[in-house]
Amino acid sequence: MKLRRFLFIFTVLQILFFTGCWSSHEVNTLGITVCIGIDKTENGYLVSKQIINPRAIASDKATMESPIVVYTTEVNNMAEVSSRFMTQVSRKINDSHLRLVVFSEAVAKEGIQNVLDYFARNHEFRTDYYFVVARNATAKEILGILTPIETIPGVDMYNSLNMSEKEWAPIKTIRIIELVSSIMADGKNPVLMGIEISQNKTSPKSTEVLKQSGEYKLLKYSNLGVLSNDKLVGWLDEDESKGYNYITGNVKSTVEHVYFDEVKITSMTTKVKSSTRVYLLENKPAIEVKIKIRQNIRSVEGSFDIISEENKQILNEMFAGKVKSSCEKALNKMQKELRTDVFGFGEAIHRKYPKIWKKIKDDWNDKFSNLPVNITVEVETKQLGEITKPLFMKEEE
Amino acid sequence: MKFFKKTTVKDKKTREADSVISKDINKNITRLKEDFAHDSDLVVHYFKLENNRGLICANIYIKSLVDRSTINSLSIELEKLKCDCPDRKSVINIDGLMDYFSGVREAKEGLDYETLCTDLLSGNTVFLIDGCEKYLAVSAGSDEGRSVEEPSSQTVIKGPKDGFTEKINSNILLIRKRIKSKDLKVEYLCAGSITRTTISLMYIHKIAQDEIVQEIRTRLNKIEIDGVLESGYIEELIKDDRYSVFPTFLSSEKPDSVAGALLEGRVAILVDGTPYVLTAPALMIEFLQSSEDYYHHYIISSMMRFLRLLAFFLTLLVPATYIALTLFHQEIIPTPLLISIAAQREGVPFPALMEALLMEITFEILREAGIRMPRAIGSAVSIVGALVLGQAAVEAGIISAAMVIVVSITAISSFAVPNYEMSNAIRLVRFILMLMAGVFGLYGILMGLIVLILHLCKIKSVTVPYLTPIAPKVKRESQDTLFRFPLWKMKYRPIGISGTDAARTGESNPVNSSQKEKQELR
Repeated sequence: MKLRRFLFIFTVLQILFFTGCWSSHEVNTLGITVCIGIDKTENGYLVSKQIINPRAIASDKATMESPIVVYTTEVNNMAEVSSRFMTQVSRKINDSHLRLVVFSEAVAKEGIQNVLDYFARNHEFRTDYYFVVARNATAKEILGILTPIETIPGVDMYNSLNMSEKEWAPIKTIRIIELVSSIMADGKNPVLMGIEISQNKTSPKSTEVLKQSGEYKLLKYSNLGVLSNDKLVGWLDEDESKGYNYITGNVKSTVEHVYFDEVKITSMTTKVKSSTRVYLLENKPAIEVKIKIRQNIRSVEGSFDIISEENKQILNEMFAGKVKSSCEKALNKMQKELRTDVFGFGEAIHRKYPKIWKKIKDDWNDKFSNLPVNITVEVETKQLGEITKPLFMKEEE
Repeated sequence: MKFFKKTTVKDKKTREADSVISKDINKNITRLKEDFAHDSDLVVHYFKLENNRGLICANIYIKSLVDRSTINSLSIELEKLKCDCPDRKSVINIDGLMDYFSGVREAKEGLDYETLCTDLLSGNTVFLIDGCEKYLAVSAGSDEGRSVEEPSSQTVIKGPKDGFTEKINSNILLIRKRIKSKDLKVEYLCAGSITRTTISLMYIHKIAQDEIVQEIRTRLNKIEIDGVLESGYIEELIKDDRYSVFPTFLSSEKPDSVAGALLEGRVAILVDGTPYVLTAPALMIEFLQSSEDYYHHYIISSMMRFLRLLAFFLTLLVPATYIALTLFHQEIIPTPLLISIAAQREGVPFPALMEALLMEITFEILREAGIRMPRAIGSAVSIVGALVLGQAAVEAGIISAAMVIVVSITAISSFAVPNYEMSNAIRLVRFILMLMAGVFGLYGILMGLIVLILHLCKIKSVTVPYLTPIAPKVKRESQDTLFRFPLWKMKYRPIGISGTDAARTGESNPVNSSQKEKQELR
């Protein structure tokens, strides 16, 4: 009995001291990655990682150090990355807090399939980071730029992408699950947000420069990159990006303006609902896109009586026309120029008419460019704002 | 009991002969003086009744135990008796004295020498008369002791502020004053072979379950110990699971909460010499409840109960979770928080587990020191504590600020658990969980919690499972578990604890259903 008790205690103690802890890492032995940039080289990829320098962020010990460090290494394939980085960094690289993956245009054009496999397979990654494509710059350059206000550029870029998607129509965010599933899906292709360096005088590579506001390079999001399967085939401009988001129902709120004679009227969209309907036109599938917009008036720059029901009607139609033209522009570009179905029309046909879809599936890109698409936009103006008539409107008697 | 087993027949006979009081008063007194040798407290006062003629009497008492004024008035009464004696020839014996005293004082007769000693030691004054085999004990105990004060360990804002004292009689009085029922039974027992401490068992007939009362009575009778100085002795000796750190008797300093427990069918154990009264069966959930719950609005009380439950889990899990998350599961922490923790931990020389243990142990030492210190130096402890725990450790970069916050939350939460013994038990479990978290992460915490819950399911409080009404699930009892239902909704007393009289209000007694459910519990 005594022996058994002794053995029991001994085994329990063994559990405490000889196993366990194998995956434990103190927070101050971690290098937390917030951004990964992938550039193309002759033999493979040039991978850059933006790693947080916690000492620079600690609030009570203000230092002049940079809040981030960008490490770069050349690898044959993505799987090598973590191991290769260990030769440069003294800390265990922790990728679980990744916020942003930046592809260079060259990588995106070549195809991102192989890279995505790594991101989808590795258990360390969460699934809440975004993918973007660098325009007119390498991914490494993008990662090296410091941002004001939010000290960590990766977090800054993540937050601004997050916020702008809600507030500005041309922005579209994409995470790994959506990206992979839309690459894999028949009759649907993904888009990736473009990121570029807005040209200013100096680039803030050290915190010194950040002391002068407005005098340095900033990062900004612009234009959507269109992927055919996993390859970048072209870019949509701002208006077309807007159209794309209207058709796919990805606009939460945005600002639109129209000119009525010389009067500029701006509205704030509060609710957008878009529905795609597939129907048969002479035994061939056709698409009907209905977009319903609810908006408030934000500004009226000139003399225009917006109270009258008649004028309101005119306004609604004008705004509808504006949105419709954006949508058609995007549609045209996709159908005629890029010949890629990013709207998911193919998928919609697949759902409704699976038999027809089987027949047209193989040359869908051709069929898509001739697909009849009918877009209708309805706009409803709800509120005129705190004031009704424009401030400086002259009363006509 | 062991002692008696060893005695032989021969021993018994001599003991019996010894225990009888001799007719010769001098023999008795010599014997007493021998037994109480080196005890200068014993006072023997000889006198003669019938105007200093006739039989020799002796008045014996222990000086320090009796009240001087009572003794004085007794002797005055004796003088009066001498004068009043009209017939000089009348034989005054013990019965005569008994008749005389029993009218005004608590008096009793005895035959046994051993009981004579016990009576002497309980603060009685004893009368012996030559040629009489009886003695007369008149109560003259001094009433020294603390008066009824506000309890120091269980303070309330709303509710009665009187607390038990060290005197068992006054404690019984405090309960009796609250429950004026002939069904309230008080049984006296005695424990401690040397201390002969009075223990009383209180319960309400029919409301308390007979089996539970009987069980407690048997356990109390089985106690073998030389002394009982506090109710903690009793708890430890009659506990169901002696190895468990969790208290299975609720000790309370407040008469109102004991009265409440009695009304729910629980049994109270009062021990002479301590203001802490035990009530049993005590269930896990009771340790998170306060008597004040019933004095406030039921929604407020329910909210307070949730708050206490939250505090219970916080004090149990916060340090362990912090260790597990920062060591093993950094991906769970939101990015901004992780960055902030990483920035704080920069330059901290200890691993997170060490850091946590260091801080927790420092806090425990401070807490312990704060309790034992004389009150006058108490503030010094808090100053040093605040400086050491808070500022200096962080400023020196030895401890991260986040850890200080974790320890503070844990400490504050542990004070929100209303029962001190329960909060001690959780404190111990917390350290085990911290070690488990340091070794296995969240997985370790879960393993620890599983073992903890298994243990809680196993232990019982006087035959009632500790986790009732959660496990076994008793639906009706949810009225007074996490929520405190309005009083008009609480129609029945707790199943498994209360006896045949289960209805609180005048409604019909659900005897059948409750008995059925009771059987299911078993």
